[in-house]
Amino acid sequence: MLVLNNIKKRYAMGEETVNALDDVSITIQDKEFVSIVGPSGSGKSTLMNIVGCLDSADEGTYILFGTDVTHLSDRQLSEVRNKKIGFIFQGFNLLSKLTALENVELPLIYQGISANERKEKAIEALKKVGLEGRVKHRPTELSGGQQQRVAIARALVTNPSLILADEPTGNLDSKSGKEIIALLHELNDNGNTIMLITHDMSLAKEAQRSIEIRDGKIVNENIYRAGDAI
Amino acid sequence: MTFFQGLKMALLSIKYNKMRSILTMLGIIIGVLSVIVLVSIGQGAGDQVTSRIKALGSNTLTVTITSNSSKSFTASELMELAGSNGIENISPSLSSSVTTKSGSQTDEDTKIIGIYPSYESIAGDTLDYGRYITDVDIEYKLTNAVVGVDVATNLFGTTDCIGETITIENKQFTIVGVLTSTGTSSTSNDDERIIIPFSTAQRIFLQSSIKSFYVSTTSEDTITQAENKISSFLDDKLGVTSTVSSDGTTTNSSYKIYNQNELIETVASTTSTLTAMLGGIAGISLLVGGIGIMNIMLVSVSERTKEIGIRKAIGAKRKDILLQFLIESIVISLSGGVIGLLLGYICTIILSNVLSMTLAISGGLVLLAIGFSVAVGVVFGLYPANTASKLRPIEALRHD
Ligand SMILES: Nc1ncnc2c1ncn2[C@@H]1O[C@H](COP(=O)(O)OP(=O)(O)OP(=O)(O)O)[C@@H](O)[C@H]1O
Ligand SMILES: [Mg+2]
Repeated sequence: MLVLNNIKKRYAMGEETVNALDDVSITIQDKEFVSIVGPSGSGKSTLMNIVGCLDSADEGTYILFGTDVTHLSDRQLSEVRNKKIGFIFQGFNLLSKLTALENVELPLIYQGISANERKEKAIEALKKVGLEGRVKHRPTELSGGQQQRVAIARALVTNPSLILADEPTGNLDSKSGKEIIALLHELNDNGNTIMLITHDMSLAKEAQRSIEIRDGKIVNENIYRAGDAI
Repeated sequence: MTFFQGLKMALLSIKYNKMRSILTMLGIIIGVLSVIVLVSIGQGAGDQVTSRIKALGSNTLTVTITSNSSKSFTASELMELAGSNGIENISPSLSSSVTTKSGSQTDEDTKIIGIYPSYESIAGDTLDYGRYITDVDIEYKLTNAVVGVDVATNLFGTTDCIGETITIENKQFTIVGVLTSTGTSSTSNDDERIIIPFSTAQRIFLQSSIKSFYVSTTSEDTITQAENKISSFLDDKLGVTSTVSSDGTTTNSSYKIYNQNELIETVASTTSTLTAMLGGIAGISLLVGGIGIMNIMLVSVSERTKEIGIRKAIGAKRKDILLQFLIESIVISLSGGVIGLLLGYICTIILSNVLSMTLAISGGLVLLAIGFSVAVGVVFGLYPANTASKLRPIEALRHD
């Protein structure tokens, strides 16, 4: 379970301060599929960075699977990101010099898993996203949809409890986009908690629950389907 | 992350920036190369001089008399010194350079030296054929000669020439012995010399007084004792007083006693100072190479900020990033060091042929070069690696 309590995040821009997140409180149950929706600049990515332990809030508390992460050290945060969270970034964020397989292996390297086991797990993850035929390809030799699927394989290879997807279909055509959403559903069915970030209302409806934010505040909440966990 | 993983990442990054990595390595290569070559030249020069001095025997004293006074001493007076005060053997000497003839064959610029039989053991001479100069040769001023192998082959085309006659300064000499070859060195050739009785040499060269002599001592420890005895003998015979300084050296305007050990020590300390200086100068280029590494690593870190952000986002710890960049700089500097070492090795082989001196790369020098290049990698890689590891993931990710 994720509990965010009264999270505030401000950015100072010269004289002005931008309230990127203004008193946001969200609770997400285990195995839930939640979407965060809102217009550009509303604070979605800021929220994801805090949920993903990439950034810390200025105020408020954040409890991730029973641990208060507000006061964890740099090293402990790395470990949380490594073991508990899988990221699917807006811009893929693959390492261009590594092959698909090596990219997927990366989180396992930092877990200290042996080479054989690593390869086995990475290939399995690539199979799940339908890329077993592109193992030796580098990102530049793959289409946008394929690159996003490599990023998904990298996010799921550690079998993290929480998967964060920031505009996963943003750069893709509608067919590739649908495939990615189908993959997210499959992961959710397998028991991963999913947080999908999008500005697209129709995509937001794919989730069990959608939270709408605007100017750093929660303005609306819709329940589309009752999830197993709710 | 294991060390092996870090190594793999470092090699990959070097492979992708081949040209840049090679240019960075070049600084280290040139640094290590110049250290190796200059230090081995310094050591080689020192070894060459000391070995030449040692060839004379480390327990040998060479005495030259510079006084022109009428006071003098005889060979038999000198010979009486042998056998006491640590003096083992003693032999006066009279040397010159002559042209020798046999039939139509001539041998020019031959070193001729008149000595006593005891010179054989002082100089460590050995014979291939015949015999050495004897007391009888001295007593009767016989015109017998012992020759080096080069003299023999130049005049007779063979080393076995016992009984042949040669003409030296219009006098007929009979060859009674042929010396064993000592091998050639670039500056002097001990195989091209003729040894004759001291008394005969005195008559030929019209020199009645003794102007130089050689002394061998029973061991290296008795050198000082022998030196003292000889200087008091000479002070007495030449009628001078010499001052002995605190370090045991005798200062005198009438004669000079050369002690091989002192000479070796002086040469050794001079060449080691020279070697250290050369090494130090070359070391500066290694330092410049190190700064080159730091520069390139800093560029690499800022170019790869996004990569660092991604790695941190998916779980790399500070230590992992630090290790990755540190290994990269060590791999570059160590490879540069090894390449520099190999090139240095090739250079010393070429140079030792060109300069005709033995240049050896000592094990210590190899360790120093390798150790130093690793140290350069660590020292100059640490700052960029630390900078990389401290990047905050969120800021690094935003970078493009
Ligand atoms: N590093 C920063 N420095 C200053 N202001 C920032 C920073 N990051 C975000 N902001 C501001 O915070 C607000 C929220 O930004 P955020 O990136 O969370 O928006 P978003 O909802 O993800 O938008 P988009 O849909 O365009 O990605 C914006 O007004 C932005 O200008
Ligand atoms: Mg965003």
